[in-house]
Amino acid sequence: MENSTHVTVNTTDCEVVEIPHEIFFAIAMVSLTENLLVVVAVIKNKNLHSPMYCFICSLSIFNMTASVSKTWENIMIVFSKMGHLYSRGELAMKMDDVMDALVCMSFLGSIFSLLAIAVDRYITIFHALRYHTIMTMKRVAAILAGIWTFCAASGVLMAIFSHYTIIMTCFIVLFLISLALIMFLYVHMFLLARTHARKIASLPGNTVHQKHNMKGAITLAILFGVFIACWSPFFFHLFLIMICPLNPYCECYRSLFQVNVILLMCNSVIDPFIYAFRSVELRSTFRKMFCCSGDIFCHAIQCLQLNSNIRLL
Amino acid sequence: MSENSSISNKISRQTASHPDYVWEYEYYDYEPVSFEGLKAHKYSIVIGFWVGLAVFVIFMFFILTLLTKTGAPHQENPEPSEKHNRMNSFAVDFHRSQESDKVLSCEVVEESRSLFHCYINEVEHLGRAKLNSKASGPKHSNLHVRETLGDDELDEEINSLAKFNIPNFVSSEQSSTLGDDDLLLCEQPIILNNNADDSSTLNPQLRSQTPHGLF
Repeated sequence: MENSTHVTVNTTDCEVVEIPHEIFFAIAMVSLTENLLVVVAVIKNKNLHSPMYCFICSLSIFNMTASVSKTWENIMIVFSKMGHLYSRGELAMKMDDVMDALVCMSFLGSIFSLLAIAVDRYITIFHALRYHTIMTMKRVAAILAGIWTFCAASGVLMAIFSHYTIIMTCFIVLFLISLALIMFLYVHMFLLARTHARKIASLPGNTVHQKHNMKGAITLAILFGVFIACWSPFFFHLFLIMICPLNPYCECYRSLFQVNVILLMCNSVIDPFIYAFRSVELRSTFRKMFCCSGDIFCHAIQCLQLNSNIRLL
Repeated sequence: MSENSSISNKISRQTASHPDYVWEYEYYDYEPVSFEGLKAHKYSIVIGFWVGLAVFVIFMFFILTLLTKTGAPHQENPEPSEKHNRMNSFAVDFHRSQESDKVLSCEVVEESRSLFHCYINEVEHLGRAKLNSKASGPKHSNLHVRETLGDDELDEEINSLAKFNIPNFVSSEQSSTLGDDDLLLCEQPIILNNNADDSSTLNPQLRSQTPHGLF
């Protein structure tokens, strides 16, 4: 590596911000548990065998894959630091490639699952009558198969050809397109909800339900906010790698790489809360699942449920 | 050197100066970057990015709340006759598309939170007196299927909701207070009647989502 072009360089001004492995492990375990619960609940409850829950399930599976691969990577790093791993072998490099591919696949898969959920909700609202003919379970299966195949192929391609800038460009462009689509779909749905709220408010005896729309706005803001806050830093990082690899300012941003990865994992933790756990049916499935094991836990959940019901009535 | 450098971000590749394969989160850099002569703060891109992100999200939130407020005050006292006509047309549409064989029931708690709860109450109160339930075929439900926005959308929504078991919707309370749950919670009506026909393809779909309960 040539370093003769820079006579006096201080390469440690922006040191890489290291996050302890324990935090990675903790977040990965929490994410794994939550998403596993979601998947089990969706599979167990026949009421949840519908397109929307299939997409939520797919999102959870991708999040689980991301957590598992990140955890595996972490374990490898810990082992190699402790000297247990012979890090020069072919096997190590192959495992590294596999993990890179898995991580890329799960990131892409999460984004596409979020997009699929948004499209499904959009069709539910704007094509309500034909929804069950548009979104048959066969089509859902085909869509999910397509998503999984595309993400797996892209993951493998990215892991192998990661040094080509065209791959990174495609990755970033895919993310931007998905972000734009998600925002468009949800804002359109929100506008329709607002129109309907106004029409309902115009009915005799109704007051303007400002609170409903405000809650809709808050919900949307949370949805977008979490998506953007968790995904953009990582993609901005990729973008800066392509644009300004030598710039010191960019270098300082890139030193926060581990923080950006933690944010991605936090997205895996938060996603069940804003997509899956909002469903009352899913929550009641959890309640039934937990009530089979342990009386104290069951009572606690029942008390919580009772309290929330009392508040609503 | 530069053409060999890898842009792998996940695991560092072998660097030319370091023979061992290093398992770290670092990525391979081109060459040491000089930090001398920086005009602005070294983390300026980081700060700028996060501030820009926060501003964008807050701006989006304000746009959404602004959208919720525009137009609503004008609708509070419309003409009674105009309202009556509108209600009659809705009631007629509602009657045509009602199918007695598609029965879906909703949990009362969910209904009290749904925007359409209030709406369907009104339709029912006004229209029930002169309507006899008449089973119509599935084709009639498509009479008013339009895919444009505006009032056509509303008709479509009514038709879709006609598939629900309307008598079970009835509740005199018009809840103006939501619980702590956001409107995105009202995604799906819960079937009280667990013996619903599972073999019907319609039920599972509509069972899980209220078209308009997303907000």
